[in-house]
Amino acid sequence: MPDALEKEAVPTAGGPATVAVVEAGPAPGRARSLWSDAWRDLRRKPTFVIPAFVIALLLVMAAFPGWFTSVSPREADLANNFLREPELTHFFSPEWLGYNQQGQSIYARMIYGTRASIVIGISVTALVLVFGSLVGMLAGYFGGWIDGLLSRVIDIFLGIPFLLGAMVVLVSFDTRTEWTVILALAFLGWTTIARVMRGSVISIKQSDYVVAARSLGAGTWRILLRHVLPNAAAPVIVVAMIALGGYITAEAVLSFLGIGLTEPAISWGGDINRAGGQIRTASFLLLYPSLLLGITILSFLMLGDAVRDALDPKLR
Amino acid sequence: MRGARSAKWVAGAIAVALAASACGGDDGDDGEDGASEGSGEGIVRIDGGEPQNALIPTNTNEQFGALVIQNVFSKLVDFADDGSTFTVAAESVEANEDNSLWTITLKDGWTFHDGTPVTAESYVNAWNWAANIQNEQNNAFWFADIVGYEDVHPEEEGAEPTAETMSGLAVVDDLTFTIELTTPVSYYDYKLGYDAFTPLPESFYDDPEAFGESPVGNGPYEFVSWEHEETIELARYEDYQGDNAAQNGGIQIQAYDSLETAYTDLQSGNLDIIRQVAPRDLPLYRQDLGEDRSVAQPYNGIQTITPVWYEWDATDNPAQVLQGVSMAIDRETITQTVLNGSRFPADSYLPPGVYGYQENADGTITDFNPEEAQRLVEEGGGVPDDRLVIQYNADADHQEWVEAVCNSVIEVLDIECVGDPLVDFATDLEAREAGEVQSMYRGGWFADYPLNVNFLKELYASYAHSNYGQFDSPEVDALFAEGDAAADLDATVAAYQEAEQLLFEQMPSIPLWFNAVNGGWGPNVDNVVFNSAGQPILTDVTVSE
Repeated sequence: MPDALEKEAVPTAGGPATVAVVEAGPAPGRARSLWSDAWRDLRRKPTFVIPAFVIALLLVMAAFPGWFTSVSPREADLANNFLREPELTHFFSPEWLGYNQQGQSIYARMIYGTRASIVIGISVTALVLVFGSLVGMLAGYFGGWIDGLLSRVIDIFLGIPFLLGAMVVLVSFDTRTEWTVILALAFLGWTTIARVMRGSVISIKQSDYVVAARSLGAGTWRILLRHVLPNAAAPVIVVAMIALGGYITAEAVLSFLGIGLTEPAISWGGDINRAGGQIRTASFLLLYPSLLLGITILSFLMLGDAVRDALDPKLR
Repeated sequence: MRGARSAKWVAGAIAVALAASACGGDDGDDGEDGASEGSGEGIVRIDGGEPQNALIPTNTNEQFGALVIQNVFSKLVDFADDGSTFTVAAESVEANEDNSLWTITLKDGWTFHDGTPVTAESYVNAWNWAANIQNEQNNAFWFADIVGYEDVHPEEEGAEPTAETMSGLAVVDDLTFTIELTTPVSYYDYKLGYDAFTPLPESFYDDPEAFGESPVGNGPYEFVSWEHEETIELARYEDYQGDNAAQNGGIQIQAYDSLETAYTDLQSGNLDIIRQVAPRDLPLYRQDLGEDRSVAQPYNGIQTITPVWYEWDATDNPAQVLQGVSMAIDRETITQTVLNGSRFPADSYLPPGVYGYQENADGTITDFNPEEAQRLVEEGGGVPDDRLVIQYNADADHQEWVEAVCNSVIEVLDIECVGDPLVDFATDLEAREAGEVQSMYRGGWFADYPLNVNFLKELYASYAHSNYGQFDSPEVDALFAEGDAAADLDATVAAYQEAEQLLFEQMPSIPLWFNAVNGGWGPNVDNVVFNSAGQPILTDVTVSE
């Protein structure tokens, strides 16, 4: 994961492309803002509409799993359901995708596992956005020794490998809830956002409208929140969207390794891990959760890509 | 590592296993083959791991070390598949009338691998050395029955031994010595079948540390080399005098981190024998290897879930509630499905291969009976906090069955039930010893010696070291004492059988199932037989050139 994040982050952070976007940003008239342009562009693109639809569906699944399946993901009947093969024609019924080695419906577990992935993905992204943006903004806007200090802190955190660091943190907890995983991932994940934000802010603080606001006597916080932040946000949001898919992967990877969520939490990664033991006898155990995990991650990545393209005039 | 989790009890199992192997050897070797000639030169490659401790018999109590010790050393007595004993290095083992004085006569002409003769002194000196507290041997407690043990191994912390030797051990002549016991033990010959009761050569005392890296024994194989975490090589000892001489050139023990890898190696011909296949391979290994090159048979181990009484005393009638919980577990279905037939539902506190086993000792307590389970739990005052937590070590494959047991309990009793995985067996044991178990822990026991005493006293006597549940029943203790004081083996066994019946009324643990061995071997080797301890009889294995 860190690699993928890095790749996306670096060009956005230092690259002139996004900076140019932002500077060209606020055109006269509300209707012609960067965001509305992007939206007009996006809503016609299948690479945006399809993942957006999938993500919307996943969000509903996470919020109201009971709408999708009538059985509990924990309800187990070894006597009748042990490793029962999928019956693919029984759409959306408990036996649709088969039963696992505890006699639990794989379909129900997939639906209920969505919540862990989505909650962790979104929460980590939100935390990272808030904290990373704050640090990046302060470093970029004030410069000088503050920048020096914060940048070094960012460098230190960037030096810790993302997944490895998360493992080290998580192993020290005996019971791990969603919040443990969220905090561990956010703790190590905020640096990318901070860097992008810092680069973005540095280029914006020299713009005329910022200088104008300052000469009109606007306070530092007013300038930051009203003028700098809205214009620096675009690249950060793109990075965050792409990273979201990464955080979901990270959760699955950690659960797969047995150091993510602990029982009785239901997580795709955990189910995939346990399916590994049955791969020769019941490969469907592995197939369906992996498929859903793949679709989810792909959706977030595609969405992020589409949004980036829309916000970058060079790529239009 | 797999080794660590198994600790002492597995060691015991292997001890027994090898014992049995010796027995198996008997049949084939007597007669035309000629035991000590040894026919094959081929090397048998078997799966193993890195021994935890130095390779000294009195210090080894986990399976990987035991695998070496069992083959490099021959014991005084060993066990047959029906749980009876027979002699190996001893000519005879005889007790006096009240079982307090045991006389051991050794077979003549035996030598250590360094050529020095095995004498009564080799035994007496070795046991005195091992029992001495200053030498810090893990298995020292095995000598605790001998008069004078407390002088060389004082109880109090930091106390110095007041004697160099145990007064209960006396050399009569070169091939005879006597053991005087503090209290009569009618089954002491069973204890003598444990690994710790082996002799050491004179050279040992010069440098025990070097010996631990390169042991010199009296067994069918001599030690060749130990490449740490890789391989241990043993070669046939040509001057071996016992009946179970090796039918192959030697053994190469290969260390594996995972049973899956070992299985893959077996299939690709890089390994000859796998002692236990991984759960992943259980459903298909008999198909993969063929029925005639694989085995699935019960052996002397039991799996239980054990309540900790410092938590369970909170309910009105813990024993009754535990009986109910026991009836809420569908053993038949779980062993067939989740465990792939690799276990056999338990109906007793000890497996069938153990002397003193009573078929269906429990009555109906291990039968799946939802209505009765609900009734008993309710009448007994309910499970504390309506919550069962089953502690287990996550470094072995317990998760699936713990979960299945919980699901069964949840279904029947409608209470909360979760597994509590601790990272490895050492952590699991620490929590047990510290009295930090939340509700129940996974208990496993393998026979140190195949007698019902071993499965009952070591676990459920109030003073037993492995009684981590802190079960304390004066009635049970009294029956154990009665059995220990009995005049002969049968009276002892009978008293312990009575105690076992009582245990089902008091429920110090819930028996789940008996272990099975699921092993296999490749086309290079033949005559692979697994004994009742679940170990292959290595001396009998032949290798096709």
